[in-house]
Amino acid sequence: MNHVDVENDLKNALRRENAPEGFADRVLARAANRGSSPKAVPRNSWLDFFARPLVRWAALAAISAGTIFGVHVHNVRRQRAEGEAAKERLILALRIAGSKLQLAKSKVNEINANQTHGDQSQEEKE
Amino acid sequence: MAERTTPEQSGEIAESDFAEMVRRHQSMVFSIAQHFLADRPAAEELAQDVFLQLHSSLATLKSAEHVTFWLRKVTAHRCIDYKRRRKLPQVSLEDAPEPAAPARSGDPFLARRMRQFVASLPETPRMVVILRYQEEMGAEDIASALDMPLATVKSHLQRSLAMLREKVTRAIGEVTI
Repeated sequence: MNHVDVENDLKNALRRENAPEGFADRVLARAANRGSSPKAVPRNSWLDFFARPLVRWAALAAISAGTIFGVHVHNVRRQRAEGEAAKERLILALRIAGSKLQLAKSKVNEINANQTHGDQSQEEKE
Repeated sequence: MAERTTPEQSGEIAESDFAEMVRRHQSMVFSIAQHFLADRPAAEELAQDVFLQLHSSLATLKSAEHVTFWLRKVTAHRCIDYKRRRKLPQVSLEDAPEPAAPARSGDPFLARRMRQFVASLPETPRMVVILRYQEEMGAEDIASALDMPLATVKSHLQRSLAMLREKVTRAIGEVTI
C-alpha cells in the first residue's frame, strides 16, 4: 500500500459523513416540542450581567457573607437577651436574700429584747 | 471544507431559517461528533442537542459565518465534555468501533485504520485533528473554537501527526512521508 502522506490519508478518512436518515426531522420535532418559537435571548439584558461566571461567584460570595453576618448578629442578640434575663434573676435573688436577712435580724433583735426584759424583772423581784 | 456564505445572510439570523440551518449543517455537526466519539447513536444524540442549543441561541447569532463557527465550537466542546463526563476508557486500536459509513474515496482499509488511530488519540488532540482535517480549519480558527493558545494547537497537531505517522508506519510499514 503506497500512500502520499499521512495528512492526505487523514483528509480521506475524516471526510464528512451524511447525517442519519431523518436526522433533521427529528431535530425539528424536538425543537417544536420544546416550544413553538426559539427562546429569545435578549441582548444587553441586565440578566446578562449575572450570566458572567465572575459575577455569579461574586454574588454567591456576597450572599454567603450576608448569611454568615446575619447568623452572627442573631447570635449576639440572643446572648445579650440571655445575659439581661440572668441579670434580672440575680437582682431578684439578691432582693429576696436581703429581705430574708432583714427578717432574721429583726427576729434576733426581738429575742435579745425579750431576754433583756426577763433579766430586769428577775432582778427587781430579788 | 470551507463554508459558503451568501452576502444576504450577513444580517441577523431569522427564526424561520432554523430548519434550513439544520439541513445545511447536519453533516458537519454529525461528522465531528461521529469522528470524535466513534459511536453513531451517541453522535446523533449529541448533534441533536447542539442544534437544540442553536435553536435557543438564534437571537445571539448574527451571520451564517457566525453560525458555522458557533456550531463547530459548541460541537467540539460538547464532544470533549461528553467524553470527560462519561469517563469512558481510552479506546484501544483493536476495540475502536467501526464507523458505519466508509470513506467515499481512497483506500477503505487505510481510512478505517486511520479513523481507529484518530479515535485512540487523547480528547483535545483528537478534536484538533478532526477540526483540521475534516473541517479544514486553520490553526488560528481551531485555537479560537477550542479557547486555547495558538501554540498549543500547533503543538497538538505536530505531536498528533507524529504519533499517527508512527502508528501507520508500524501498522502498515510503508508510509511515505
